[in-house]
Amino acid sequence: MRWKEALTKAIVAPMRLFLVFIFFFLAGCSKPEPLYNTQSYIFGTLVDITIYGEPEPRAQEVSNQIIHGFQDLHNRLHAWRPSELKTLNDEFSRGNSPVTIAPDIAVVLSDATKLSIQSKGAFNPAIGGLIEAWGFHHDEFHPIKIDETKIKNLVHANPQMTDIMIKDGKISSNNPAVQVDLGGYAKGYALDIALASLRKQGVKNALVNIGGNIIALGKHGEKPWRVGIQHPRKPNAIATLDLESGWAIGTSGDYQRFFELNGKRYCHIIDPATGYPAQGVQAVTVLIPPQINAGTLSDVTSKPIFIAKPEARAEAAKAMGVENYLVIESNNKILVSPTMAKRLTWLDSLAAKHVTSALQ
Amino acid sequence: MSRLPYSSDTSNSHLKPLIGDWLVIIISIVAVFFMFQQFWSFEHASQLRIRQGNKIIGTYDLNQTRELHIKGPIGESIIVINQGKVRFKQSPCHNQYCVHQGWLSHAGEVAICLPNQVSLQLLGAKNTYDSLNY
Repeated sequence: MRWKEALTKAIVAPMRLFLVFIFFFLAGCSKPEPLYNTQSYIFGTLVDITIYGEPEPRAQEVSNQIIHGFQDLHNRLHAWRPSELKTLNDEFSRGNSPVTIAPDIAVVLSDATKLSIQSKGAFNPAIGGLIEAWGFHHDEFHPIKIDETKIKNLVHANPQMTDIMIKDGKISSNNPAVQVDLGGYAKGYALDIALASLRKQGVKNALVNIGGNIIALGKHGEKPWRVGIQHPRKPNAIATLDLESGWAIGTSGDYQRFFELNGKRYCHIIDPATGYPAQGVQAVTVLIPPQINAGTLSDVTSKPIFIAKPEARAEAAKAMGVENYLVIESNNKILVSPTMAKRLTWLDSLAAKHVTSALQ
Repeated sequence: MSRLPYSSDTSNSHLKPLIGDWLVIIISIVAVFFMFQQFWSFEHASQLRIRQGNKIIGTYDLNQTRELHIKGPIGESIIVINQGKVRFKQSPCHNQYCVHQGWLSHAGEVAICLPNQVSLQLLGAKNTYDSLNY
């Protein structure tokens, strides 16, 4: 028995603690995660819902409910196919006789108006006419022949959300140029609705992604949900960050909907002041802390920052109450607000070298 | 290295590392190397998930050379897997963003063709992130 004792003393005894660690490590590896994920195509983009910690049939049921809600919202707010919003726009262009409006759409339009005023018109959902003129009112858009006169006239007509009046369940506009397009609002608004619905259903942990705009609920097991931020010119993520419960993240980029004409890129984010697509920025990402309309803000607030001149970006962010933001400019310069910098983990080492801190 | 305090044997006065100590050291080095490869920011993906609409078409091993034809609402998307990377080779869509995105090779990377509702998602043993903001 002496050799056995010697073996224990020489090999097993020094490794005791280590073997315990290995046991737990392997035990951790083998456990399958209670993670449910589903994708669908709504709002002209990809909707991705992930639910953690619920039995699959339950997660599926809740997801389906949310997806149906999204589909309904999309059908009602569609900017160029027959919808409740399209009907309103048609009435606006015809004259100013008040028409009946659904209460929830009235709330949406009032809120969009408030945010438009807050952005001093940089976020302006009333410029549907301009977006149409640039050819973005199609699922498959083509490079257009730029009609300078038409664009000039549309800018001159100065459609504003404040031209719209809502009274006693009826809506009217005193500017026939007003064409509401909620392309920069609806996806974020849908995130807020999804979060409220998930909470109401008793789901504790979920991550909802609508066309890149994401809202988080709870955690991914022990760890917070982690999201990657897409590099605007490469196939990979540029950085990651932890999205804690109730936080929302949104990006406006020139790489999602754009066309190229004579070597120049024209993106779908149009500066209401000039009538032309904003230039000089590849992407603006905003991170919004938990609040009742965090999703909406993650969609809306990136636009004024995207459109603003470089020296006015910090001010635009401040006006929209955005503390955490990231701007990737066309000259490869990357601007990060100090609070955002603390949250980011850079994956792209080249990008990390071009980072400067934005003044606040 | 020959005076590791941990290896002090209760019955022996000399502090020579025992075989078990060397095993701990060797396994630790291997584990650190392995984990560094596995978890350090970008992990090379091992699998590809293809979806069309809300259906998972399939999960494929990335370490092969293969061409896949996926039918969607506007036609056929052609996807190429080439030893650890994947891309849209051909697409019936007008803007061709999916084709221009090029090769994907890291876990978590995503390419989507919205008009044809085809998505490629790279999976790894441990994903760098849960969802992509774009």
